[in-house]
Amino acid sequence: MDEEQNSAFAFEGNWKEYAPIAFTNLLLTIVTLGFYRFWATTRTRRYLWSRTRFIDDRLEWTGTGGELFKGFLMVLVLLGLPFLFLQFGVQALVIRGMGGIAAALGFVAFALIFYLGGVARFRALRYRLSRTYWHGIRGGSDDGGWRFGWSYMWRNIVGVIPIYLMVPWAMISLWNARWNKMSFGPHGFRSNARVKPVFKRFLLFYLAPFLLAIVGVAYVATIGGFIGSVFFHTNYPPVIAAIALVVVIIGIYALLGLIALAYYAAFLREGIGSLRLENLDFKFEASTDDWLKLFFGDILLVVATFGIGWIFIQYRHWSFFIKHLEAYGEIDLDALTQSTTRESRHGEGLLDAMDVGAF
Amino acid sequence: MSAEAEVWHYDGRNANRWRARLIGDAASFRLVGDGWDSGPYAWDSLDALDLAGRDAVFGLHDESGWRIGFAEGAIPQEIAALLPHKSRYGGFIDRIGLWKASVMLACAAALVLFIGASAPGWIAPLVPQSFEDNLGDAMVGDFGGRICSTPQGDAALAALVARMDPHDKARSIEVANIPMVNAIALPGRRIVIFDGLLQQAKSPDEVAGVLGHELGHVEHRDTMAALLRQLGLTVVLGGMNNSAGANINTLLSLSYGREAEHAADMTAIAKMKAAGVSPLPTADFFRRMTPALPKDGKGKTKDTAESLEEVEEAISWFASHPSSASRTALFANAHDKRRRYQPALTPAQWQAMKGMCAADKKVKPASDFGL
Repeated sequence: MDEEQNSAFAFEGNWKEYAPIAFTNLLLTIVTLGFYRFWATTRTRRYLWSRTRFIDDRLEWTGTGGELFKGFLMVLVLLGLPFLFLQFGVQALVIRGMGGIAAALGFVAFALIFYLGGVARFRALRYRLSRTYWHGIRGGSDDGGWRFGWSYMWRNIVGVIPIYLMVPWAMISLWNARWNKMSFGPHGFRSNARVKPVFKRFLLFYLAPFLLAIVGVAYVATIGGFIGSVFFHTNYPPVIAAIALVVVIIGIYALLGLIALAYYAAFLREGIGSLRLENLDFKFEASTDDWLKLFFGDILLVVATFGIGWIFIQYRHWSFFIKHLEAYGEIDLDALTQSTTRESRHGEGLLDAMDVGAF
Repeated sequence: MSAEAEVWHYDGRNANRWRARLIGDAASFRLVGDGWDSGPYAWDSLDALDLAGRDAVFGLHDESGWRIGFAEGAIPQEIAALLPHKSRYGGFIDRIGLWKASVMLACAAALVLFIGASAPGWIAPLVPQSFEDNLGDAMVGDFGGRICSTPQGDAALAALVARMDPHDKARSIEVANIPMVNAIALPGRRIVIFDGLLQQAKSPDEVAGVLGHELGHVEHRDTMAALLRQLGLTVVLGGMNNSAGANINTLLSLSYGREAEHAADMTAIAKMKAAGVSPLPTADFFRRMTPALPKDGKGKTKDTAESLEEVEEAISWFASHPSSASRTALFANAHDKRRRYQPALTPAQWQAMKGMCAADKKVKPASDFGL
C-alpha cells in the first residue's frame, strides 16, 4: 500500500461506488437495444478517469457519448460498405461464375478494412488523449493517422512474411510510430522501444501462430459453409452461420489471448517503459503472473456471477493498468501549456467496431 | 445580490493551479486571485462536471480546460442556486428520471423490434419491380452458365410453366445443373429449380408443388424482403455487437420466415387447384424429405425439435423450406377426393425435363459450383 502511495499514478476508485453506474448502464443499454452503450462507455470512463490520480490531481475524461456515436456511424459507412460487399457481392459474383473478379474485389475490400484498422488504432489513441485532461491540459495529435494506416499495412505484412518472425519488429515499430505522433500539452511523446527485449519472449511462444493456423482453417471452413448455402432465399442459414462464426472468433480470441499473454506482458513493459514526455519517463510493471491473475480473475468473476460480472471487466482492467503504471521525473507546470492539436469531433468508432484496445 | 466563495482554478492555458475568490452577482461572476483577475463569466456559460471526490467542479462551454472547483461545503447558498446541475445518465433521462425513462425506452424498443421485424415485408412491395429485376440480374446473371437447356426439356418446362404460372408472374423459370435438392426464388422474379430436386422427385406433380411454392415467394416479393432483412440485420447486429442481439434477431427472422413460407404454401395450393394438379404427391414429397416424420405423417412435431433439425440441415432443402407435419398435412388436406386431377406433365415431357441437364452438353458441370 505504501508503494501505492508513493506512485505517481494511483487508482482510487472502488467497485461499490462504480456498481450503480455499471448496473444503470446495463439497464439502459438493454432498453435502448444497445444504442446507449456509447453513453455508457462515456459514463464508465468519466468515473475511471476521475478516480485516477496523477501526482496531485485526478484525471478528467471529457469525451461524450455523442462523439462515440458519430464514430460508430462513420464505421457504418467506411467499414460497412466493404463489409457488405464481402458478404453479398462476392457470393453473387461466385454464383455468376466470375470468381476472378470476386477474388480481386474481395481482396480490395479486405485491404480497405485492413488499412482502416490501422487508421483506427491511431485515431483511437489520439481521441483518448485529446479527451484526457490533467490540470486543465489535454493531449492529442496533429496527425490524422492516414499515413500510419499504410505503415500499419506494410509493416504487418512484412512482419508475417518470414514465417511470422518479424511480428515483434512490426508491433514495436508501429508502437513507436504511433506514440511519436502523440502529444500532451505542448510536449510530444517520444517512444524508442526496442525489439530485442521482447524477441526472446516471442520465440518462446513462437508456436502460437501455428495454433492460430489450425483455428484459422476452422474459421475458413465456417465461411465456406456460409458461402455454399443459398443466402438470397427467404431463409436464415446466414444468421446461424453468423452465430457459429461469432463462437469461433471468440474461441480464437480466448485461446490466443492466453498464449500470447507472456509476450504481450513483455511487449507492454517495453513499450510503455520506453515512453518519454519531456522530463517524464513512464514504466509499466505488470508481469505475466499479474496478467494471468487478471484474466483468470475475469473469467472467475463472469462465471461466478452468471455473466453479470462482465459489466465490471472494464473497471478491473483500468484499475490493473493504472496500478502497474509508473512515472518518474518532473513536470514544469508553467511550461505545460494547453495543447494546440485539433480536437476530433468523433470518437473511436472505428476501433470500437473492430474490438481492439488503444494500448 | 452579491456573493463570494473560495475556489481553485485551472485557466486551461497552463497547468498551474490557482487559488481565487469568486465574486458574483445575479448574472455573472469574476475570479480574483493574487495579482490577477478574470471575467466576467455568465453563470449560464458554466457546465457542471461529473468529477470525483468531494469538490464540485465546473467548466466553461467554450474554454477547453478552464475549471473552477469548490471545496466540499464551500458553496454559499446564493451561489448554489445559480450553478448548473450535473448530468448523470445524459439528456432526457435526467429530466424524467431513470425508471420512467427505462420503461419508456423499453416500450420504444419493443415497438422498434416489432416494426423492424415486419418492415421488410411492407417495404419490399414498395421497391420498384424494375429495380429488383436489375438487382437480380446483377447478382445472379446467367447462373454462371449452369442453366440447362435442350429443345425437349425447354418445351416440357414451358408446358409446366404454362399450367402453373399462366399469368407470367415470374420473369423466368429455369433448371440449373446443381445436384442440390432445392429450388429458389431469386430477386427479380426468377425461379431456378435445381437438377437435384428433379432427380429426387417421383412425379412432375411434386415439382409443380415446389414451383407453386416458389411462385408464391415471387408474388409476395419475399426475396426482396429477405434482402432488406439481411441488410437490416447487418446494421442492427453492428449496433448491438453482442450475442443477445444476434439471438433476438435469429428469433425474429425465424418467425418471419415461417409466415412467409406458409403464405407461399397457400399460394402453391391455390395454383395447383387452378391448374388441376393433385397436391398429394407434393405432400408425399415433403414427408419423404423430413426424415423424422412417421410414414403416416400424422405425428405432431414439436417446434423445438423442428428448429434443431433445421440447424442440422442448414445447407439442405429444409434450411430454406422448414418442413413439419403440419406442412405435409396442409397439402394432404387440400386434396379433393371428388376432383379428377391431371398429371402436371405427360410421361414423355417429364422424362425430357428430368434428363435435360444430363443431355445438355454445353452446360457447366455441377462440380464447378464451389460448394
